[in-house]
Amino acid sequence: MRAVLRWTLTRLLIMAVTLLGTSVVIFFAVRQMPGGYESVVLGPLASEEQRQAAAERYGLDQPVLVQYWHWVTGAVQGDFGISLVSQVPVIQELALRLPVTVTLALMALSAAVLIGVPLGVLTGLRSTSRSGGALGRTVAGLGISVPEFVLGSVALFVVSSVASCFSVGNLASLSGEPATLVRALVLPAAVLGLYCLAATARTTRDAVMNVLVEPHVTAAVARGETPGHIVRHHVLRNASVPVLTLLGTITAYLLGGAVIVETVFNIPGVGSYMVTGLGRHDYAVVQATVLLAAVAFIVINTVLDIAASLVDPRVAAAGGRR
Amino acid sequence: MNVRQSCTAAAGILALTLTGCGGGGAEPAAQAEVEPGYLAVADDTATAEGPVTVQVDYDSQEDGGLDPQLATTARSWSLFGLVYETLVTVDAEFGFQPGLATSWEQPDETTYIFTIDTSAQFSNGRALTVDDVAGTLERLKDGVGVWAGQIGPVDSVETLDDTRVQVNLSEPYTPFLAALANSPAGILPMEEIESGQVDIATEMLGTGPFVMESHRQDQNWVFSRHDGYRHAGDVLITELRVDIVGEDATRQAALREGSTALANFSNVDALSLLANSGATMYSQQQSDFYYILINGLREDSPLNDQDLRFALNAAIDRQALSNSALAGESAPTGVTPSNLPGACDPADLPSAGVGAEGAAGLIEASGYDGEPLDLLVYNSEPVLGQMAQVIQQQLEAAGVTVNIEQLDTAAYYERTHSTVPGNFDMALGWYAGYGDPAMVTRWWNPDIAGFSAAFAGSHEDLNGLIDQAAAESEPAAREQVFTELCHTVDEYSEMVPLVHRPGIVGLNPDLLTMDLAANEGYGDFLRYLPTARPVSAG
Repeated sequence: MRAVLRWTLTRLLIMAVTLLGTSVVIFFAVRQMPGGYESVVLGPLASEEQRQAAAERYGLDQPVLVQYWHWVTGAVQGDFGISLVSQVPVIQELALRLPVTVTLALMALSAAVLIGVPLGVLTGLRSTSRSGGALGRTVAGLGISVPEFVLGSVALFVVSSVASCFSVGNLASLSGEPATLVRALVLPAAVLGLYCLAATARTTRDAVMNVLVEPHVTAAVARGETPGHIVRHHVLRNASVPVLTLLGTITAYLLGGAVIVETVFNIPGVGSYMVTGLGRHDYAVVQATVLLAAVAFIVINTVLDIAASLVDPRVAAAGGRR
Repeated sequence: MNVRQSCTAAAGILALTLTGCGGGGAEPAAQAEVEPGYLAVADDTATAEGPVTVQVDYDSQEDGGLDPQLATTARSWSLFGLVYETLVTVDAEFGFQPGLATSWEQPDETTYIFTIDTSAQFSNGRALTVDDVAGTLERLKDGVGVWAGQIGPVDSVETLDDTRVQVNLSEPYTPFLAALANSPAGILPMEEIESGQVDIATEMLGTGPFVMESHRQDQNWVFSRHDGYRHAGDVLITELRVDIVGEDATRQAALREGSTALANFSNVDALSLLANSGATMYSQQQSDFYYILINGLREDSPLNDQDLRFALNAAIDRQALSNSALAGESAPTGVTPSNLPGACDPADLPSAGVGAEGAAGLIEASGYDGEPLDLLVYNSEPVLGQMAQVIQQQLEAAGVTVNIEQLDTAAYYERTHSTVPGNFDMALGWYAGYGDPAMVTRWWNPDIAGFSAAFAGSHEDLNGLIDQAAAESEPAAREQVFTELCHTVDEYSEMVPLVHRPGIVGLNPDLLTMDLAANEGYGDFLRYLPTARPVSAG
């Protein structure tokens, strides 16, 4: 138990350092992009004096380290600055967009967990049968290999061409009302969820197949345990670590903004906010959204590491030895 | 290729494939005028009132916020024009019609007297006064906006009585009315601005047909009908929602499924993609045009040689460019937009008569050493990449190797406009063409348009012609000046006009019927929304 605690504290410390490093990388990387915000918003017709005035107005003429200090101290207090384009605090816009992205992520994730995991277990258990293996490979292959922008574009075209209960062309004004949100996001979530589902099914299948050939499963069979008992107590528990890791990665990716799906369907989420901000060099927006994605990734992975150590103490022990 | 480009490209290919399977390869809709000057007219039998949703490709993003005088982009002009009215308006033939001015007279070449409509009132209920008009024009003249450069040599503005305002120019300026007809010259509530009651950068208070209710950047605008508008009886749209939808494919889907009544498209393929969708598609001829910058200012650049620049200009076949990159929905133009009255004929330009072989000969004769030239485009206007490829092939045939560089907007401007000289050989872009042929020509004088100094020299003869074009009012003499001006620009070949930028608009006839002019000067496809008629209420 002490090993797990020590290992957990180490993970939390590493997480804090990683976040700090990430903030530095994000801040300076954004400023390495050629061309400044004033070039985008003022356009080519502006004079040099107008550009300088704009840079001064937004504090972009200050030394970069001073700008970083202002930003990072603000971010720690929840103030991510003001969008240069809309003049609205970034946190205010994130508060509107995050529920949309979280809902979309949860819906896609649901598909991964509720369909992908059982499908993976089923095909893993039946991997020796021809039909089980083929089904698993087909679903995983299709889901993983069809890019989201292709699937999304096809869905847009098909759904808008036939009478259906879905509407795909008016998501720009999505409200945060849960029922409306869920109904509107069904199609985008299906597009997004297919990849998640396929990846989860494939990983689960592989994990189950790996566990099935381990000696303790063979021993359980030899002891005469029922198949259901073996699956529940020996297979699923041992196969869960890689699946949990994958689900964590997918969750972090989705919470950071499903950039492509949000762009294709014009969903006002965090991902589309990031893309728009990048195009305009709206520094405060890009920094906040990328940092949010990084935080989601780092925090979720840390939580997963800790969860994995609790499920399987050998993880912490191995980590502690390193 | 970024996310947006990937999505656009994929959606285009897929949609083309899918419509090709289902529709048997539809041709673009014929752009016949239903009435002189109009591609569409509102159906007078539609009398229902109701809300309307339209979708546009990008949002207004101005350093000056909602201040119309600082607006620089066509989308801002369109949106601001729903709230603010101008003294005069431009009609489908680029003539001028009364706006807030019921009439005007021009006692001499430098004096304009406007009689204002005293029935007009701002949406806060206050009546328009001559002080609002005079104050607005003074503010515009003294401001730093781009439009201050287009409004001309306004010397002073004075109120003559309760209904008349006199504008005195320091010298004749023929495009004056055309400059007044665009929304940056919209009349502002000067009393409220000066008293601090209204911050015009964050609020909108105009006399126009709509009142802004809300704006969420890059998401939507909501306008309500202005009940105090002097022509309120003509406005049947009770609530106007303008959604910002960045992807062409998504706007196409919205138009197809009926979740928007009107949408614009940046890709000319939308004409064929939506041909069998139930939407009515229109291709407006805009005075906006694409140009190629040929930077002759860099030290040791072969492009310092005017003969080589002219040869490159001559090697570009504009009609082929239109056919290949713009589906034939465009037309060549000189520096005076060819769809505006009195503009020069692009077929008469010196470069137009050279031909491909002649251009190759000129390039060889110039002593060009074969060093590859870079051609910059920016990725927010996807057709620029396609145009660049056509130009690359045309110049390759003339013996010039071109390397295309596709940049984001900021990086593009960084290379082309932020240093003198600009850090590039050639670059593609486009200008708004406005409502008078002389207006855009001012950008060819770096002494007026400082940004041009990054790639164009200041030439006494050219600057003189630009001034002459602005001052001349007699039509025949004007045409003569325009012709000379076009030829001179063509010969210097620093900023070379290519072809018009078409405006693709889709209308769902089951939801909305409206006027749409065949020609447009300010990129304003929302111009006729105030008199548009919802087909079904609710």
